[in-house]
Amino acid sequence: MALLRNSSRTRRRDTSGNRIWVWFMLPGTLWMAGFLVASLLLVAVLAVGTTDELGNPRFGFDLSAVRALADPAYTEVLARSLGYALLTCLICLLIAYPVAYTIALYGGRYKHALIAAIVVPFFANYLVRMYGWSVVLSDDGPLLRALRAIGLADGGTKILNSSFGVIAGLVYGFVVFMIIPLYAALERLDVSLIEAGRDLYGGPVRTFFFVTLPATRQGAAAGLVLVFLPAMGDFVSAQLMGGPDQIMIGNLIQDKFFQGQNWPLGSALTMLLMLVLLIGMLGYLRRTRKDEAEALR
Amino acid sequence: MSPEVPPPSRRALLRAGACGLLGAAVGGCGFMPADKPAADRLAPPEPRVDGDLVYFNWADFVDPAVFKGFEKEYGVKVIQSNFDSMEGMVAKLNAGNRYDIIFPTAKWAQRLARGGRLRRIDHARLSNADAVFGTYTYFTDPWYDPGSAHTVPFTAYKTGIGWRRDKIGDLTDSWRDLWNDRARGKVFLLDDRDEVLGMAALTLGLDVSTGDPGNLDRITDLLGDLRPRLRGFSSDSYNNLLNGNAYIQQAWSGDMAAMLNQAEDPSVFGFQAPKEGTPINSDCYAIPWNAPHPGTAMLFIDYMLRPENVKKNIEYIGYPMPVAGSEKVYADLVEPFPECLVTQEDLKADAFFRNGDRAAEEARDTAWTHVKAG
Repeated sequence: MALLRNSSRTRRRDTSGNRIWVWFMLPGTLWMAGFLVASLLLVAVLAVGTTDELGNPRFGFDLSAVRALADPAYTEVLARSLGYALLTCLICLLIAYPVAYTIALYGGRYKHALIAAIVVPFFANYLVRMYGWSVVLSDDGPLLRALRAIGLADGGTKILNSSFGVIAGLVYGFVVFMIIPLYAALERLDVSLIEAGRDLYGGPVRTFFFVTLPATRQGAAAGLVLVFLPAMGDFVSAQLMGGPDQIMIGNLIQDKFFQGQNWPLGSALTMLLMLVLLIGMLGYLRRTRKDEAEALR
Repeated sequence: MSPEVPPPSRRALLRAGACGLLGAAVGGCGFMPADKPAADRLAPPEPRVDGDLVYFNWADFVDPAVFKGFEKEYGVKVIQSNFDSMEGMVAKLNAGNRYDIIFPTAKWAQRLARGGRLRRIDHARLSNADAVFGTYTYFTDPWYDPGSAHTVPFTAYKTGIGWRRDKIGDLTDSWRDLWNDRARGKVFLLDDRDEVLGMAALTLGLDVSTGDPGNLDRITDLLGDLRPRLRGFSSDSYNNLLNGNAYIQQAWSGDMAAMLNQAEDPSVFGFQAPKEGTPINSDCYAIPWNAPHPGTAMLFIDYMLRPENVKKNIEYIGYPMPVAGSEKVYADLVEPFPECLVTQEDLKADAFFRNGDRAAEEARDTAWTHVKAG
């Protein structure tokens, strides 16, 4: 009865509450619309734009930038970036899983301290950290000097300016994005599931592959996406750790904006990169939707 | 959100989003075909204190002691901001940011002046201008700004080859030294389109700014031949030489002068300006059309040109300045690398990077992509 009598007032309060929620959503919406959607639209429009006689980008309609994408140089560099990004994902997964597993299941009361120890170094700017690595790994840097002193390297040994260097840089830069979601997934994992697996005569390996891994699949998928997206568009690692044969698509895009003053082509390349990333994301979304559907069944 | 509260109205959020989009679209107006500011707004300003100086330059390009002296003498503050590329500088100007003094390179000074973005500068109102234009006559009528009507040169520099004498010995004063067999795999080119294409053009005896497709094909072929010997494209020239990654590095003279300060033993390094010719560049002082305090900017230019301040700045940044009387200061500073000096003859050789028309710029851009991506 009381509920019924109060219903009209409750509804009024609900609508005012509704308005407050709208106000809370407003900054985020404006931010996303202004800085994400609108800037993407600008990039899309500039991809068919043109440049004036001073090289400044101007709105217009000109497909020459889009046509220039047919140049095999771009396909080749894009394919290389894709390869590097996928390899980075795989290596990050192999490194991050044991780390996250150990912390989540055996970290005990040090769990949070251990996660903090992993995350805190990543507060330092990525560029600065990579620059630091390029100094440490240089030919006369401390590492190679030490290796030469104990006879593990000779004068010709190089670490920098190789595919190894670039991928190592990418892994170092983004591995934390894999550890965190995996840790979250393993934290949530019900340990009795593992025990059940063992009770059903699963060895440690079988239990891991048939119980633990499937239960943390979503964390791994989230981590893969979080690593793949920035690795694919990265230009810092290739710039500081790579040589002429390790150029990534991010380097070319950066060149178009800064050196060539060819913003339309830079924008067109950006759209192409986004298209590739979008295809990857669609795969991820389909996968998670399927997982959700299975979970509900 | 509790389930009783109905979700916020989509229409309200869409409206808000549209506002945000509109706001950003206004930001995009910088890409509309722009009108030139009215000519009378570009009249030469009178040197007089009309407010604090809003200064916009590369980081660390003026001795802080010079700023302090200027602030003290004229009772104004210097409000500093920095850019990290010419493109970034122009983007900020086009977005409507207002500065009193900027430092474009020759090529960008031409773009800005032609686009009506620079106030005229009357040299007669600068008491120290004669030390520049009286001696370095090249700058009385440079290609980038006829009559130097909108600019005063600040620094000049050239591009050459820095190398490790202790690793590969002497070189032959030629760009062909980049093909040196002892340096194979330890060669860096600058990560700069104009410099790399210009280097190959000079090696082939072509114009540094060529946009001709036939010439560019020859340039990309030559660079394709050099490419397997390269370790990378990097403009971090002096660190590459110092940390042993590079035995040979295409380098700007100013960076090599700065390296002399850092090196424990400068004699292990060399710098040459190859005989086929070296690209020349210069930065200049300029006052944007919308400068809030152009009078203070004029006073600042004049102050910077005083002999004692020229000396301080040269010693601080390692770049030579085309000001009469400063030559010895710079020569002493780069004593181990005499080829860092920029002489009148260097300037007259006129190997500046120039702005090309749209087709030429696109052809150069494509050539650079092929050089870089291989």
